[in-house]
Order: sequence, then C-alpha cells, then structure tokens
Amino acid sequence: MGRFILRAEVRWNGATTVSYAYDLTPGSVFVVSDCPAPAGSALWLRLSFPGVLEPLDVEAHVARVRPDGAPGEPGGLELAFAASSRIATLLARLDDGERPRSERAYRVLLIEDSSFMHDMFAFAVEQFFGGPGVLAIDHAEDAERAWDKLSREPYDLVIVDYFLPAEDGASLIARMRRDARLARLPVVAISIGGRNAREATLSAGADLFLDKPLVLRDLFNTLRVLSHQRRGRGEGERILVLDDSPLVLALTRAALEQAGFRVAVAETLSRFEQARVEFEPDLILVDVQMPEAFGDDVASTLRGFHGVQVPIVLVSSLEEDELARRAAEAHANGYIRKSEGMTELVRRCREVLDGASP
Amino acid sequence: VNDLQARFIPQFIDLARGRIARGIDVATKNDHQGVGLTARELHALAGEAGLLGLTAIVSLARDSEDKARRMQASQSSEDAAALVAALRELGRVIELVEPTPDTKGPT
Repeated sequence: MGRFILRAEVRWNGATTVSYAYDLTPGSVFVVSDCPAPAGSALWLRLSFPGVLEPLDVEAHVARVRPDGAPGEPGGLELAFAASSRIATLLARLDDGERPRSERAYRVLLIEDSSFMHDMFAFAVEQFFGGPGVLAIDHAEDAERAWDKLSREPYDLVIVDYFLPAEDGASLIARMRRDARLARLPVVAISIGGRNAREATLSAGADLFLDKPLVLRDLFNTLRVLSHQRRGRGEGERILVLDDSPLVLALTRAALEQAGFRVAVAETLSRFEQARVEFEPDLILVDVQMPEAFGDDVASTLRGFHGVQVPIVLVSSLEEDELARRAAEAHANGYIRKSEGMTELVRRCREVLDGASP
Repeated sequence: VNDLQARFIPQFIDLARGRIARGIDVATKNDHQGVGLTARELHALAGEAGLLGLTAIVSLARDSEDKARRMQASQSSEDAAALVAALRELGRVIELVEPTPDTKGPT
C-alpha cells in the first residue's frame, strides 16, 4: 500500500501556509512545509483533499523539523497531536479503500504540455486502477485546449502544471475561479517552480500544490481510495437539513427518504454542527430565517471559516429575488423556495448532487 | 406526495390553529412586542404550507406576516385590526383543508 497525500493548512504565529501532508497515523503526520515553526511549537492543522475529503481540524505541535531529503522528499514538519475519533475514522476510511462505492469513473483533466508526463499519468492509471474504469485521465496540452474541454466536459478534478505555453497555470486557475461553473472544481497544481509557483497557483485558487517530481504512486493511491468512496446517485447520498420548524424537518426528511436519500435533521446550530461532523453529508440544506442565525450567514461561515466543500443550498419561503441574492452572497450552490413544494425540493436536491449548475 | 400530505396536514392544521390563536390574542391586546414572534410564526407557517402544496394558504400567511411586521413597526391600532382580520381569514381557509389524500383542500 502506498502513502496518502492530503492537503494541509498550517496556522502558526498568525500566518497560514497551505501545502500537503502524508504519513498520517493516529497521533502524527508529516507536513511538507517551509513554515518556520520550531520544534515544540503549538499550531493548528487542517487536513482535507479537494472534492473528496471534508476538512478535519487538529490542534498539533511540532515534534521535529525535517530538512530536505532526496528529490521528491522535500523537508517539513513532523506534527504530533492527541488521538481523536475523527482521525481514527479517516484512517479507517483510508484502510477501507478497496471497496468500490461509486458507480462511475472519477474524471481527471491533466493540463500539462509535456507529452511524456501525460504518458506517465496514463501508465500510472493503468498500473494503479487497472485501466480507466475507476479513474479516467483526459489531457490538454495548454490553457486554451483545457478551457475548451472544461467548457464541454464534466470533470471531478483538474491537475494543472504551472509552466504552460502562452497562458500559465495560475492564470488558467484564476479564470476558472471567476467562472461560476468551474469556481468550485477541485484543482491540484503541480510544478518544478518551488515556492513562487506554489504561491502563484494557491493565490489564484488552487486547492493543493504538489512539487515535482511527483510521487505518482502516492497521488494515485490517495485518489484511488478517496474517489472509490464517493457515494454515487441512488446509493443513499446524505443530506443534512437545518431548520427551526420541526414540521418542516419531519416533512423534508420524509420526502427525501422516500426519494432514496439518507437524511439527518437539526433544529439548532449545536445539533447541526454535531451532525455535520458525524454524518458527513453530501449536501446541506439551510433555512434562512431562524431564531439563532440567518441561514445565509451559516452558509458563508461553513464555506469561509470551516472550509466546507459539499454543496450548500438555502431553503426558504422568502421572495425569489431576495433569496437568490442571499444565496449568491453566501456562496451557496443555489436556493429552493418552500412554496414550490416537496417535489421540487427533491428534484433540486438531485440536480445539485448531480453537479448541475445552481 | 399525497401520502406525505395526508400524513402531515393534521399536524400542520394543529400547529396553524395555535399560531393563529396566539396571533389574534397578540393583535387584540395591541402587544407590539409580542407581534415579532407572531411574524416569525407566520413566516414558518407559510414555509410549511408551501412544502405541503397549500399555495392559497402561503399567500394568506405571507400577507398576515406583512401585516404583523407593519403593526410591529407602526404600533398603530389600525394595523393591529388589519392583522386580526387577516388572521381570521387565514384561520377560515385553514379550516377548509381536508387532511385526506382525496380532498386536498384549497391550493
């Protein structure tokens, strides 16, 4: 079994750095980072993987600072933390990766001008997945061709090289983030450009930056496990509903369960937060007018502070103009008007989960 | 959907009756502080009615919610009287809803 690569955000001394981590154990992880925290420093760590693993926050400390090693083994921080049920759940999930759960291939667009690099990816897919049935790699040589493919084809992940002819990877990523259809598509940037390339691509909106040379085995091992575990349509996708009306919760739960979804409901923010962590929803529905908070504030906090990646949809009986404005400002994936009834609510949930534009 | 309506409409009617009675009490007493809760309850009622497909009730509940917010802002007895009238009409229409799949009541 290969290693797993995870996106890592480290916050120390008021500054946050984004990089990647591997060698996760119940009490430790290695983070590739040039964060200058010395051994013994306490810091905050968030682990995730774009599109397939929701953020997991950990209070950690630096056990050891490891210098750069051989090519492909950059230096970083060995972090230690207290064992927790969430880390244990993640490790169990990584160990459980052999069991396929998704009904379609995980689609990756590789944007890379080197045809040899493309061949390496294609060979790795063959080697680690036994062909394109589980993970399918498409290829574009430059930003223009990539944009054309992105406009026509649905992808689950984009891997983009920083150094491309004409338009560089950072510029392409920034263009994607400005386009509503591509704004949330997970993007992994790769380069030999080191710190400058990392900063340029991450600030443009990449979710993860990996240094070349890539250990393809590690990247594909991570994709193999996590992409297998995506729940496909009809396999009981999970929806979490927050609303202060017990009747709305009961009714929504009944309608969604009848349609084949798994549903958890919460009447208060504290129950919602607990359910969000334990239930790991694929979609979150949030009422707008609640006694504790406005749903659009809840949605924007989930996105901006907690780093939640799954779709969030506002549900309300507000007038459409106001609801649409609140959904857009909260960076929600759309809205549902209660006055349109349960059939429409179920249809919109399916649409959002299928990746249709809001 | 009809099955769900049949299952949840009795609960909706019970809740709505209580909310309307409280709202009429608040408006009759010119309780300008309590009317904020009335507005929130009417907003919730509109949402529940919407999910149940009771569109006529959605409109009346929204109209009542608007009147409650107006009364809260103006603190006038005229707006309180308008709220009472709106709530009575809302209550009358809710009593026409039949909790069976065969007779769905006003839509």
